[in-house]
Amino acid sequence: MAAIGSAVGLGNVWRFPYVCYKNGGGAFLIPFFVAIFTAGIPLLILEFSVGHWARGTPPKAFKKVSKKWEWTGWLTVLMPFIVASYYVVVMAWCFSYMIYSFDLRWGMQAESFFSIFLGDTGSPLVIGGISLPILLGLIAVWVSIFLILYKGVKRIGKVVALTVPIPTILLIILTVRGLTLPGAIEGISYYLTPDFSKLGDVNVWLAAYAQVFFSFSLAQGIMITYASFLKKKSDLTNNAFIVALADAGTAFLAGFAVFSVVGYLTVLQGISIDGLTMAGPGLTFITYPTAVSLLPFAASIFGVFFFIALLTFGIDSAFSMIEPISASINNKWHISKARATALICVLGFLFSLIFTTGNGVYLLEILDHFVTNFGLVTIGLLECIIFGWLYRVYRLREHANKTSDIMLGRWWDILIKYIIPIILIFLLFVTIIKNITENPYPNYPSWLIVLMGIVPLFIITGLSFVLMKIKSGKEVVKT
Amino acid sequence: MSLPLSAIIMLIFGAVILYGGLAYFLYRAFKAKK
Repeated sequence: MAAIGSAVGLGNVWRFPYVCYKNGGGAFLIPFFVAIFTAGIPLLILEFSVGHWARGTPPKAFKKVSKKWEWTGWLTVLMPFIVASYYVVVMAWCFSYMIYSFDLRWGMQAESFFSIFLGDTGSPLVIGGISLPILLGLIAVWVSIFLILYKGVKRIGKVVALTVPIPTILLIILTVRGLTLPGAIEGISYYLTPDFSKLGDVNVWLAAYAQVFFSFSLAQGIMITYASFLKKKSDLTNNAFIVALADAGTAFLAGFAVFSVVGYLTVLQGISIDGLTMAGPGLTFITYPTAVSLLPFAASIFGVFFFIALLTFGIDSAFSMIEPISASINNKWHISKARATALICVLGFLFSLIFTTGNGVYLLEILDHFVTNFGLVTIGLLECIIFGWLYRVYRLREHANKTSDIMLGRWWDILIKYIIPIILIFLLFVTIIKNITENPYPNYPSWLIVLMGIVPLFIITGLSFVLMKIKSGKEVVKT
Repeated sequence: MSLPLSAIIMLIFGAVILYGGLAYFLYRAFKAKK
């Protein structure tokens, strides 16, 4: 359940429907399913098997392969910590918008309202002040994460028993409401009408693999950490299928909630869907709120439902990003779970403050771009090399088969050792070429892109080596 | 306006694989627990 909560996050609502619409509509489901079964599920099985076999956090698991690879484990847990630092800021926005939904405070000017709310200075170089509503939301979210994590895994179980079904039910309500609106069919038609000619485009296939890779919370040490808590006889393969299909199923459902309401907006305002922001914060804080304002009745209730759904989807993902680093510190230096969690939450809060300023949204965008496109893909590749080649993946296959009904064959070894690394290398290569040939931020100074995008990745890589070198609790006692 | 037939087919295709698959693996998990 916790793994499902971690995988299903804001991206399911604001990324998948748009990626699907942009890459051939319903036809995108074909490469998407191929990506799920050839990369998503095999990688999930790999991470579950690693965590279950090592019975510990990523640093311990990588160290079990060889002492010199422990740093990769630390890198794996530091990466989601960086993601959490800005992910939590987006949740703070959702928190404020949930309150604003009661009186639909954005009115018909959602775009300018969002800009004022952020305290947007209009330039990444002008810092501006810290936005008070965001700061309060940020404190609320970080305190929630601390309260969920500090007592350990039992509390996580209790929390996800609520935070997984609640947003799903709310999403179903929003979908049903959306589908009863005039124009909903037009919206769904945009979402699902297939354009099979796009299947010949390699970029569409890459988009499918990227979507699966980012959506399943892979390469963040989360699944390894959660799997280490599983019972010895847990069916790892079946669990991987459940997590993958629940995540993809939620994303598919979210498309109906989003596109039905957007279809209503386009019909009402007589505009084309191409003129609307259909992904990311633009969809959540501008397009969707505008549509909600125009609902014929109980508009505020549906606004509140939407943001509660986002908050509850997001909180599972957010604390699952903190749990691996907090558990790793607890594991290595025997610092109590409460202290380790408090330390990480305070550090995370301080780092998050950067994104609450008037230029925070620009900095967030740069960091997110580099972490997701380069950081996570590189870690995924390292996982395949270390566990696929150096540890010899058949041992993990045998471990998974011991507890699973569905037997993995040699095909799984081939996927982990050859197919997935080739896909990830190709993905990385295409992204690097794209970043060089088409600067994604032409108006930003290069030093800022390096400072916010590349420097953090090098810092956490260096920090991974430092954390590896610091002696563990046992070693300190021995000396 | 009605939904094009091709979109309906993709809807059924997506729903069967995702929700049908999820129901099947959940069923297996519950069966194993019993």
